[in-house]
Amino acid sequence: MTLAELKPGQRGRISAIGAVGPLKRRLMDMGVLVGEEVRVIKVAPLGDPLEVEIKSYRLSLRRTEAQGIGLEVPA
Amino acid sequence: MSRPLTIAVAGNPNAGKSTLINALAGSRLHVGNWPGVTVEKKEAQFDFAGRSIRLVDLPGTYSLSPYTQEEIIARDYLVHEKPDLILNVVDATNLERNLYLTMQLLELDIPTVLALNIFDEAEAKGYRIDVKGIETMLGVVAVPTAATKNRGLQELLAAVIATADAAADRRPKALSYGTDLDQAAGWVTEALHQHYPELAKRYPQRWLACKLMEGDTELGKEINLDTTTLLAEPLHHLRRAHGEDIEALLAEARYALATGLTFEVLRKPEAPRREITEKIDRVVLHRLFGIPIFLFAMWLVFKLTFDLSSPFGDWLDGMIAGPFRRWIEVGMGAIGAPDWTVSLALDGVVAGVGFVLVFVPVIFAMMFFITFLEGSGYMARAAFVMDRAMHTIGLHGKSFIPMLLGFGCNVPGIYATRTLENPRDKALTALLLPLMSCGARLPVYVLFAGIFFTHSGTVIWSLYILGIALAIVMGLIFKRTLFRGEAPMFIMELPPYRMPALQSLLIHTWEKGKHFLIKAGTYILAVSVFVWFLLNLPWGVESKRDSYLGQTGAVMAPLFAPLGFGTWEASASLLTGVIAKEIVVGTMGEIYAPQADAEDTGPTPTLGEDAREMVVSLGGAFQAAGHNVVSTFGVSSLAAEDEDGATPLKGAVRSAFTPLTAYAFMVFVLLYMPCVVVAIAMRQEFGSWKWFGVAFAYQSLLAWTVALLVYQGGRLFGLGG
Repeated sequence: MTLAELKPGQRGRISAIGAVGPLKRRLMDMGVLVGEEVRVIKVAPLGDPLEVEIKSYRLSLRRTEAQGIGLEVPA
Repeated sequence: MSRPLTIAVAGNPNAGKSTLINALAGSRLHVGNWPGVTVEKKEAQFDFAGRSIRLVDLPGTYSLSPYTQEEIIARDYLVHEKPDLILNVVDATNLERNLYLTMQLLELDIPTVLALNIFDEAEAKGYRIDVKGIETMLGVVAVPTAATKNRGLQELLAAVIATADAAADRRPKALSYGTDLDQAAGWVTEALHQHYPELAKRYPQRWLACKLMEGDTELGKEINLDTTTLLAEPLHHLRRAHGEDIEALLAEARYALATGLTFEVLRKPEAPRREITEKIDRVVLHRLFGIPIFLFAMWLVFKLTFDLSSPFGDWLDGMIAGPFRRWIEVGMGAIGAPDWTVSLALDGVVAGVGFVLVFVPVIFAMMFFITFLEGSGYMARAAFVMDRAMHTIGLHGKSFIPMLLGFGCNVPGIYATRTLENPRDKALTALLLPLMSCGARLPVYVLFAGIFFTHSGTVIWSLYILGIALAIVMGLIFKRTLFRGEAPMFIMELPPYRMPALQSLLIHTWEKGKHFLIKAGTYILAVSVFVWFLLNLPWGVESKRDSYLGQTGAVMAPLFAPLGFGTWEASASLLTGVIAKEIVVGTMGEIYAPQADAEDTGPTPTLGEDAREMVVSLGGAFQAAGHNVVSTFGVSSLAAEDEDGATPLKGAVRSAFTPLTAYAFMVFVLLYMPCVVVAIAMRQEFGSWKWFGVAFAYQSLLAWTVALLVYQGGRLFGLGG
């Protein structure tokens, strides 16, 4: 399961970051790290990008970027 | 004290860094660019408590990684310029992520002071922050501040000076990243000392060790050494215990410290209040209403920018063309200056100055609103709402606003591209922007469409649509050619909504306007004088046909023959239109229907009358601006002004063009090279002529091709020509 598949209101714990290079570093710098809890807040009116909450602030990222973020979702 | 204390101000974007600096430095702030790049650099020098202080504002960054322009500038400055002290501005409402940067700054082993900014908002949210605790754990002084309310600023400066004075024993603590990382860093440092003592002297030790271990590409290029053997042993140990990814390991270690510290010092209220930001976003980013609200907001920004500024532009124009011009004419007449110098002064210099000044109000207005949108937090939302649409043609969500402003005038549009962080997004936006039909092209459409088409409104509308359609086509082409490769990432913070500080807004607006006036003004003046020479040389030229301009027009005319308007008159008009596209109409007026001395009307007003008139009309401009804001539906400056006395021109145009060639001509005017002011704006924003060159090349080609298709296609369908 990836972050791109979550619906608004759903949350999960990050289990893997598939991105490489600058994208991966940028994600990490923004606090998107393995073990971190993340919650999808909104999807933009046109379906992309997403707004998520992480480390108690709001971050937006495109679906393609969210696809590289693996999640564990509580059952 | 001879040498000023140099203080680098570092912090996350949206941490209120600009506001803090504005509050500290006020009017002493100087805005320029970092050398070689077009990232803004703010500096200020002032005295406090008998000490001379120099503030250098680093670009807002989340990290000191080697991937963005901003981060590279910030770290290069910190590592190589070695400031006396780092003032780290931290958003107290978002400690954890802000402290992540702090951890990296502390690696540099430079005396550091923390400004816990936006402290008032944190308090209002019910946060309890243990400032002493932060100081103890990090070994630095921390001062709560609220820059928008001028709170804590004196204390902050006092702490800065005290820390700088005690520099030797006020080094920040060496923080532990965990036993394994600390040990590995120690080995690397030791080995560096042994094998590369030079290097160890040049760089802060811990920072150097960490960067080498995470495989920092930028540093690798800089030191240009093979460190593989040196790093082999420490990295091997780390990998065995923690897995392959050392870069992630370090990021996690820094965040772990930031998180741990935040946990220790921050107490949040049990039941957090529903935040205002969330409430606003629920409406503004709504699935159905989000886009209409966005479009309404943009319409408002557009109207306010142009309606608010246009009366002042008109006033300046009137002043320059009226009293100012008269005074110079009278003055030069009195000292017996030769006719040609009078003409050069009036039609070259004064006209050029007037031309520059007319842009100033709109630049000011644009900067004001753009800065407001950014400072309030809505800019990020605008990008969020529009990104999907803009991304399909290779642009960024933030590209929308510059494009939109382009319909009023391309120049503020180009300057507004500074809101785009990534150089690729910025360049592509600026390249497509001139295809947005600006207000200056409208007089040309009005003249031609009015003469040749009964439904002139529809014809003009079609040109706007054609521009947008071609921008989409060109966007798709550029995405696959010049801008091939991975699109820049979007990853963007959606900061809480905040009311920007007025002082900060005004300083920023003023600095930008001033910058335009000085830098762009010089170029534009030079071009204006150059064109005057084109029109008036060789010496004693009688008719326009024989001037250099007319001659050049005649040479170029065959180029336009396949497009249906291969006359020297049309070519010469297009040439002068390079200064500003509305000048096409003016030149045609002069060429086709020269008016003999139409200017002498009535008695010349006295100096006193002129002065009174200037004040009265300035009052009128304020009134008109106010009126425009109140009734945003009011008559816009962009509405076509039907030129009086253009009847002879209309007759001449009617006999020189046909409906088909007129349309081809309008298409050409829409698309051909951006005007001089846009060229200069591009030069300023990108630091080189490169992107203007690209715009010039592709637009010339596009204009010629599309006009050709229109004309030849039209003929094929028997539309006459």
